[in-house]
Amino acid sequence: MFAHIFSYRLKCLLHDRETIFWTLLFPLLLAVFFQLALRNIDKNEIFQVIDLAVVDNAAYRNDQFLRQALAEASTGDDRLFNVTLTTAEQAEQLLQTNAVDGYIVVAEEPTLFVSRSGIAQNISKSFLDIYLQTAAAAGDILQQNPARVAELFRDLAGRRHYLAEVSGTAAEPDTVLNYFYTLIAMACLYGGFLGMREITDIEANISPLAARINVSPVHKLKAFLASLCAALLIHLAEIFILLLFLRFVLQVAFGDKSFYVVLTTILGSVAGVSFGAFVSALAKKAENIKIAILLGVTMTGSFLAGMMYHNMKYIVSRHFPLLSCLNPVNLLTDAFYSLYYYDTFTRYALNMGMLCIFIIIFCTGTYLIIRRRKYASL
Amino acid sequence: MVVRIKNLVKRYGDLLALDHLSFSVNDGEIFGLLGPNGSGKTTAINCLLSLLEYDKGEIEIFGQPMAPDAYHIKREIGIVMQNVAVYNELTVRENIDYFCGLYVPDKKSRKELVDEAIDFVGLADFADFYPQKLSGGLLRRLNIACGIAHKPKLIIMDEPTVAVDPQSRNKILEGILALNRQGATVIYTSHYMEEVERICTRILIIDKGKPIATGTKEELKAMITMEEKITVETQQLTPEQLARLRALPHILSAEYQNGLLVVKSGRGGHNLETVLSFIRKEKIQCGKIYSELPTLNDVFLEITGKHLRD
Repeated sequence: MFAHIFSYRLKCLLHDRETIFWTLLFPLLLAVFFQLALRNIDKNEIFQVIDLAVVDNAAYRNDQFLRQALAEASTGDDRLFNVTLTTAEQAEQLLQTNAVDGYIVVAEEPTLFVSRSGIAQNISKSFLDIYLQTAAAAGDILQQNPARVAELFRDLAGRRHYLAEVSGTAAEPDTVLNYFYTLIAMACLYGGFLGMREITDIEANISPLAARINVSPVHKLKAFLASLCAALLIHLAEIFILLLFLRFVLQVAFGDKSFYVVLTTILGSVAGVSFGAFVSALAKKAENIKIAILLGVTMTGSFLAGMMYHNMKYIVSRHFPLLSCLNPVNLLTDAFYSLYYYDTFTRYALNMGMLCIFIIIFCTGTYLIIRRRKYASL
Repeated sequence: MVVRIKNLVKRYGDLLALDHLSFSVNDGEIFGLLGPNGSGKTTAINCLLSLLEYDKGEIEIFGQPMAPDAYHIKREIGIVMQNVAVYNELTVRENIDYFCGLYVPDKKSRKELVDEAIDFVGLADFADFYPQKLSGGLLRRLNIACGIAHKPKLIIMDEPTVAVDPQSRNKILEGILALNRQGATVIYTSHYMEEVERICTRILIIDKGKPIATGTKEELKAMITMEEKITVETQQLTPEQLARLRALPHILSAEYQNGLLVVKSGRGGHNLETVLSFIRKEKIQCGKIYSELPTLNDVFLEITGKHLRD
């Protein structure tokens, strides 16, 4: 009997075009859209060498430290500046025609001239400010303690960095990944549409079809379980298709913990389907309310998890940490994130633990609501 | 006895939907449950099927108490719901096979039953169609096939002909008679008195959840005082003449409206002859005259004071 219901249920769900669209095609289309929209976002963040003009006057030629600093900053692959020595008139002309981001004139002290504000201008100003501070400090030391000039130059040459950027794994930092992770999480929660349909087709006070099942000689929960398994299988297949599409077609990175990535999608799928079933069992006949709750929770959760603006995830985590823990989309997104960035499983386990609690609540709630066999009204 | 319902009471809040409803259905009957919309027919059926909770009463099917887990009883029941209950994603054959499979696990015997059901409802040409492609009438036939494919001993049909064209309605009613001839007991609810009169061997009329009358159609019609309804088309009838007509023996009522004189006469008299003599004597010019025997609507009207379709 289980196999009979299960196989027909698979057939039914596979022919349900509307549900298949929302649970499979829509996330795939959104993934392609994300890829098109975000593909170049990292490229935009690649540092562009700043074009800088320096007025080649006597003061500049006498400022040995500045010349040395600029020379160091404008050599090598990771140089900050492309420096052009020029006259004051030419420098102004280059600035007006945007051929340079700014120019430096050395008088009593070096001054930066810019025509607009931007990253290049900020970097140039910071460079000059640091140079001026260092030069002032060096001047003071030379004036007060000329004997320690050698020590000063050694210190200046050997600057120490007290912060080091490290990655938990060998993974490259990638701000775009979070968008795709929220997309998978959203697709998992869209499994709610399948869960919702299962309840509609088993609760006699919701649909005539369910009434027909209820009067047949099959235990209601057995029929429900068979149908739910079919729904889960279809949703899992859809999520795996999405995962494979992201990984192999769009080249989205998931790190090297493939088993845990698959485990996360399985739990995500179970959470989505059980969430839809729970909402449907609670809201009963109010079809529009059910869909509104399902979409509302999923889309709000996706937004808060950073689907539309990736910093939102951090804003919510910092200011409303509880909301982060109660948002299933964020739990799934963060699980993928921690699998990608961390070698340890503490954060991943916390996310999955919370998700399992949600699944238990949804399943228990659904069971308690649908276990009754007779209805007060139909 | 196939079904026995005793003192069934069902309340929806303050509304008393079933008020000590009792009836029984014998083996081989087509038992009609007749009543206007909202009279409690579907509620009674849902209680009978253990879908609805009820406040009081006893329900037995095949001599055993009915309960949600009485699967041995459910196995022998076929249901045709008021609303079409099929899967739009499955073809006609798949739908019938799915529902039949809930009763008959064996694939081989099920295939024969499904083929028989498809032939029975005349959907052989549409077996591979999806329900959206079927007309309203064909959809109703599919609904019936899904309910009866497993050859149940008791078939419960809740208004199966609502919104069905006359041709399909005829086909459905003929089908019910055929199922009954094959040995099935049928409970048939409707507010269409013509259907109930045509196919039911025994009828229970209910109103506001209360049983009003039960019996064969002849027994029900014999319960009321009216024996005949005579209608006369005439454009000239004075109030005095109408009063004199009402005073005649065996005349229960006489109403004149829109050029139609409707006379209801009681039992025991030569009613048509009495009315014709009166027309001749009063020299009333008239068109068509026709006489009708009482219908179940007249029975309902006389007992409740309102029409079945009010």
